[in-house]
Amino acid sequence: GASYSSLILGPAPDLTYHGALSCTISICSTTFSSCPLPDIGVGSQVPGPNCSILVATGRSSPTEEFSGDAVKDLMLRFLGEQAAVKRQVLNASSVEQSFVGLKQLINSKNWRAAVDLCGRLLTAHGQGYGKNGLPTNHTTDSLQLWFVRLALLVKLNLFQNAELEFEPFGNLDQPDLYYEYYPHVYPGRKGSMVPFSMRILHAELEQYLGNPQESLDRLHSMKTICTKILENLEQGLAEDGSMTNITQENTQASVELWRSRLGRVMYSMANCLLMMKDYVLAVDAYHTVIKYYPEQEPQLLSGIGRIFLQIGDIKTAEKYFQDVEKMSQKWDGLQYQIMVLMNRAFLHLGQNNFAEAHRAFTEILRIDPANAVANNNAAVCLLYLGKLKDSLRQLEGMVQQDPKHYLHESVLFNLTTMYELESSRSMQKKQALLEAVAVKEGDSFNTQCLKLG
Amino acid sequence: MDVNQPKQEHLLALKVMRLTKPTLFTNIPVTCEERDLPGDLLNQLMKDDPSTVKGAETLMLGEMLTLPQNFGNIFLGETFSSYISVHNDSNQVVKDILVKADLQTSSQRLNLSASSAAVAELKSDCCIDDVIHHEVKEIGTHILVCAVSYTTQTGEKMYFRKFFKFQVLKPLDVKTKFYNAESDLSSVTDEVFLEAQIQNITTSPMFMEKVSLEPSIMYNVAELNTVNKAGESVSTFGSRTYLQPMDTRQYLYCLKPKQEFAEKAGVIKGVTVIGKLDIVWKTNLGERGRLQTSQLQRMAPGYGDVRLSLETIPDTVNLEEPFDITCKITNCSERTMDLVLEMCNTNSIHWCGVSGRQLGKLHPSSSLHLALTLLSSVQGLQSVSGLRLMDTFLKRTYEYDDIAQVCVISSKVKEEH
Repeated sequence: GASYSSLILGPAPDLTYHGALSCTISICSTTFSSCPLPDIGVGSQVPGPNCSILVATGRSSPTEEFSGDAVKDLMLRFLGEQAAVKRQVLNASSVEQSFVGLKQLINSKNWRAAVDLCGRLLTAHGQGYGKNGLPTNHTTDSLQLWFVRLALLVKLNLFQNAELEFEPFGNLDQPDLYYEYYPHVYPGRKGSMVPFSMRILHAELEQYLGNPQESLDRLHSMKTICTKILENLEQGLAEDGSMTNITQENTQASVELWRSRLGRVMYSMANCLLMMKDYVLAVDAYHTVIKYYPEQEPQLLSGIGRIFLQIGDIKTAEKYFQDVEKMSQKWDGLQYQIMVLMNRAFLHLGQNNFAEAHRAFTEILRIDPANAVANNNAAVCLLYLGKLKDSLRQLEGMVQQDPKHYLHESVLFNLTTMYELESSRSMQKKQALLEAVAVKEGDSFNTQCLKLG
Repeated sequence: MDVNQPKQEHLLALKVMRLTKPTLFTNIPVTCEERDLPGDLLNQLMKDDPSTVKGAETLMLGEMLTLPQNFGNIFLGETFSSYISVHNDSNQVVKDILVKADLQTSSQRLNLSASSAAVAELKSDCCIDDVIHHEVKEIGTHILVCAVSYTTQTGEKMYFRKFFKFQVLKPLDVKTKFYNAESDLSSVTDEVFLEAQIQNITTSPMFMEKVSLEPSIMYNVAELNTVNKAGESVSTFGSRTYLQPMDTRQYLYCLKPKQEFAEKAGVIKGVTVIGKLDIVWKTNLGERGRLQTSQLQRMAPGYGDVRLSLETIPDTVNLEEPFDITCKITNCSERTMDLVLEMCNTNSIHWCGVSGRQLGKLHPSSSLHLALTLLSSVQGLQSVSGLRLMDTFLKRTYEYDDIAQVCVISSKVKEEH
């Protein structure tokens, strides 16, 4: 048969994924465009190929507008209209209608607006609102936009919405998601156009919907394919198992890519098993992850230690923490020192010693005063030691000093819980928090932590 | 759960918060590759998030502690910890504040307060804090009664109480089974095996830290829940050190009557007290629980008037080859017996010797040893049956079947030694 090497374009071979449709895995080499999308006015059509073949599946259309600002709604309810009017956040219309604007919205944590902007940009690709059921042309760019939209929906914890929007894509292996389906747009290219990260998202989403077994199944089939591709590469074949003339250095790049992808799949599996509370398997899975991410060994071992703390097996947790301490030869620097102190503090917690735990968390603050976790945890210890006022002082100090980092929902949950314990006048203090949040946080802020009902 | 007295304007407010151990915040990682549209954006967002693990942001299990958001469940054997805070809501100084916390159960009333001294004065917006701990020893309804008495600036004495009701549930279901051992070959003692089935009936995983049997004075106990692996004692449960909700686990103990009680062992009748189980477990972040069962009792198997027990028997014998066994016959009754031995063959067991011979007189609580020969005509695991003892005085026959098992192999397959 003909060799495909003459059809390979671009400098670095990029492997695309080929799912269950056929037994061969295709090569495609291209780099995804990382430059901003052409400035397209909303509503104008992108000229596409003359598609006479009706697309069997793969109709997709972004649904509903997600714009909204829970913070502003709360302000209207509790602080009055004058205060609410002062709340200014970026929305889909207040930025450039391009990826540059999208990036701004994502960075400023206005993810709802970002989701909407994705929708508008997709409309420009002919996949607009209300176009469900009509033939659609996918491109690599449109799929990337879908990925960003779906990723943001997951970050907003809008899992049902994400599931709904994933539905038209089926299992991500429909014919119109392959390059071969668009020979005029991508002549000679083969393989899946679906970004690997989108597949990961698709698999992980199920566990957030309460179907962790489905997540595992999807991750397992991804693992099988990644493993097969790596096997082929190791035997000097192309990714799909065919003979190849690709240079050694290009093969190496492909091996590294697929190895990192396999590692990402293993990470997902370990997280999923942890969510399922299958602790024995989760611990084994995290040990495997260490093989793919050796630079994360101390963090992962510490994480496994924390799993054992959650189970109540303090002795095994201690063993893991000791293993991390023994690595001082291999690792040093601030991050490692903090890890060791953090583990010591957690061990004290497991041994019911809140005073020592507080001391250890405070020790971290001596070498890293801005450490949010140590600050929060030290304050939590103070509560258990019967020092409510001191605990509040520490958390409030945190929030006032560095609102950019400390207006985090976990910290605010703790703060509002303690306000409610402190007095019957907690409402005033919670409203004060709302004011602080209004100044700093975008539309993606999870207002539940303010406990304003 | 919160039953208060009729409303009255008080200068002080009392708040109570149960202090179960905090939980760890979990993150939802959303990542992408450099080649994807967001580039490094998503990864940077995770790095900037204060609740992710630095250097391993994809790891879901973070390090941020979150306070408990609700009362949760409480189980027998656990420790009930609670924060009690009295806050001066008013703008005047309050004097002589006394805070008392009692726990009322169906059977008793316990004082839980750390200090019983009154606080001289409490300024505006200040509070009196106390953390109480109590190991819960009863199931059912518990009521935390908090009483606050104080004196206002004008000298008026005030008093109010708050009640907090909660249920204490059963955490474990324990079932016990007793097994009698076939007589130990080396010493004729009665070994009893105790199987304890423990089920976790809570809603979270439990780490079983220690499960032990404290024997009664009659017995010595050997626990059979660890094996020796390369010099170390390894649990038989392997890496599964915890019990998920609704999981059950069996623990095995071997009890031997102590020397001074051993002679009586052959004639133990009725109910004997074996001992009690001591269970210690841990849950989230080392939250501890401890329970002891009541004294476990065993009904001694009825041996009747005459007990026949096996002393020696080979494990494996050859097909159709005679082998020897020894039995011990004990008179468990109050009267002297004159016994006659009869041997009956079964389909597989064939006795050798004389059936119907007299064994002689046997006095109460004494025993005699008997050597017998038999062979098996059927391969496989065979049950030794067919012995009959007749008491000529009372003309009563006692039947003994399924005394023991023996493995019968074909003589063509010789055992390798």
